[in-house]
Amino acid sequence: MKNRLRVLRAEREWSQAELAQRLGVSRQTINAVEVGKYDPSLPLAFAMARIFNARLEDIFFPDDTIVRSEGTDQ
Amino acid sequence: MQRTIGVACSGLLAPLDVRNLRIFSAWVVAAALVFAGTLIALDGEGLQHSPLGWLLVLTTTLLTVCALVAYVRFIRAADELLRKIHLEGLALGFGAGVAFMVCYRLFERMGARHLTISAPLVVMTLFWALGQAIGMRRYMAGADDAR
Repeated sequence: MKNRLRVLRAEREWSQAELAQRLGVSRQTINAVEVGKYDPSLPLAFAMARIFNARLEDIFFPDDTIVRSEGTDQ
Repeated sequence: MQRTIGVACSGLLAPLDVRNLRIFSAWVVAAALVFAGTLIALDGEGLQHSPLGWLLVLTTTLLTVCALVAYVRFIRAADELLRKIHLEGLALGFGAGVAFMVCYRLFERMGARHLTISAPLVVMTLFWALGQAIGMRRYMAGADDAR
């Protein structure tokens, strides 16, 4: 699963540690989610959506969505 | 979110995790010390089947159960990535232990040395640690990129 967490975080100029603190998780968890190594639990994903005032599908999307949209753009 | 906002998030272990890990470690050390003392005492003369022998055995068992409960509490309260790493370590340790116990019976029949009940415990512990090391390596790639 891909996500826009890094972009959303950068828009707010938050460090991983700041976001982690707001969400009550470790910085390593935020990093692992951002690099796609770890898919967060539903409660954490909803907490992320709430903190960025976005819908889940605006933050997370399956890998094939990206491939399809990239193909469409070309 | 059960974890409180305001945890120190610089690493994988939040203060709550550190606290719970310390409690677990204290129980493990206590259980290990009493276990070693009990083993030495029971190897001596006269304690086997005596009330004091039973007291030592039950104390060791109680401390071991306390360590188990502390570990379960640590896992349940842990940061979700930390929990995943630990559960993967436990899965690898358990699987390796079972595989060792099943397969070594065949090795014994082929002439390998008979091992004590402690051998699978060592295998499980080593693979538990290995599983955690693999998990750390797998999920913490690029972890220095804090910004």
